[in-house]
Amino acid sequence: MIALSEKQVQFIHDDLLRNGIEMEDLRLSLVDHICCVIEEEMTEDDQFEEFYTCIISRFYHRHLEEIQEETKLVLTFKHYYAMKNVMIRSGAFTAICFTTGILFKLMHWPGAAALQLASIAVFSFLFLPILFLFKSREVDLRSQKLIIGVATVFCFLFGISTLFKLMHWPYANILWLSCLGILLFVFLPIFFFTGIRNVETKVNTIISSILILVAGGMLFAITALRNSKWSDETQSLSNKRVLATLAFAEELTTSDSTLKETLLTNKCNEVCAQIDALKKALIQSLPREHRGLSEAKICRIYASDVNQSDKVLFTNAQQPSQELIAIKKGLNEISLLAKEAKVDAERLFNTADGHRFNDKTNPTEQWETLNFMYTSFSLVLQNLNMLKLQIKLVELSVERNGKMSRF
Amino acid sequence: MYSSELIKGTLKTIILSLLSNEEKMYGYEITQKVKDRTGGKIQLTEGALYPTLHALEAQGILSTEVVNVGNRLRKYYSITPTGKSVANEKVTEFSEFMATMRILLDVKPRLGEA
Repeated sequence: MIALSEKQVQFIHDDLLRNGIEMEDLRLSLVDHICCVIEEEMTEDDQFEEFYTCIISRFYHRHLEEIQEETKLVLTFKHYYAMKNVMIRSGAFTAICFTTGILFKLMHWPGAAALQLASIAVFSFLFLPILFLFKSREVDLRSQKLIIGVATVFCFLFGISTLFKLMHWPYANILWLSCLGILLFVFLPIFFFTGIRNVETKVNTIISSILILVAGGMLFAITALRNSKWSDETQSLSNKRVLATLAFAEELTTSDSTLKETLLTNKCNEVCAQIDALKKALIQSLPREHRGLSEAKICRIYASDVNQSDKVLFTNAQQPSQELIAIKKGLNEISLLAKEAKVDAERLFNTADGHRFNDKTNPTEQWETLNFMYTSFSLVLQNLNMLKLQIKLVELSVERNGKMSRF
Repeated sequence: MYSSELIKGTLKTIILSLLSNEEKMYGYEITQKVKDRTGGKIQLTEGALYPTLHALEAQGILSTEVVNVGNRLRKYYSITPTGKSVANEKVTEFSEFMATMRILLDVKPRLGEA
């Protein structure tokens, strides 16, 4: 048996490093293994380097680095079964939780949002990444890995944009459309042109592509669905009618010379001015091109389709609570002043807190939340105009009662 | 020599079973022992052996010790207490599998082998 010199051992070590065996631990094992083989099998007539080249080819099929790749793979997937288990459990959790969440939402039961949020979060951040790891491991070709990667990105965006849509969060439509864009303009072309080249997968690719195209188109149609133009028109007309009635009432109050500068008229004018200021500020918050339009036109553009999440004006963050609370306070003061003239304005304004029709669990919802939250811009404007109209009516009623008492 | 697919499925069982009966072994020694015991019918390839040894080490089934041998280092593998129970499970599972395969394939044990 031949004993290898230090120089020869170093030669083996350097060659392994040159051939991509970077894991020190693995290199150490291989050096010893190769040395053992050489010492066992090499005769004194053999040349070391020739013999080494001859035996090293036994260690691989295509290249030496295969051993390191395989080692890395088994080390990465040492929790293979645990990961598979997590994937199955998270998938089942998502399916059950999401279905229950939808049921809760339809029935207006509490907890729907939490269920949907939990299910989509688990789906996007746990189930999908593990699924991607497994699926990309099953295929060898780079194009197939790319298809799986793009499909994962699509599914991730699909989940997130569905969540945004369900929660009426802003930018839901942008997310949803970019998700459809990835499906139709990135995934579909890669999937189609990769699959059609292979005779075995050609027919299946064509059928699947048609199905994806149809499904994508249908999703787009659902996303782009808006109120019918008749519905928009009716809403716009309804606000126009409120505005016209308000103008009529304003004419009555200004033309009536008997109306004096009383405490009540001053208060009414003050609250009306507050309402106007709020309306102006709200209109200023719209995109530049819509700011100069008439109220009727604005109401038509921002019709009360709450499914169009970008048109839902008041969310928790955006609601101008301070202004609305000040207006509520003003309305209550008007009610007190009107009471002295035997006019029941409180019944008209109804500034008491209450509960929503479908949310019996929260019976102490604030007036400003009940009337102005999670609703469209057009409805907010209409509600503010209606308040002004009611104020004018109270003003006129008080004046009428005053006149009657004089006779 | 048996196909690499058959050997790959039983590699862990082979390694664990061997190490259960020895105090410690190094990679080359394992390949030689398997070759000798099976009369050359099973030859472990380095490409399959070392990734499996590393995986078993990472799972805490095997422990290692590096020893200086002449002008190089040698890594010895030995089975841990956890590994011993895993080895028993693997051997039992494989014996049951062989019995099932015999029934399934209707293979009758030949005289002298039973």
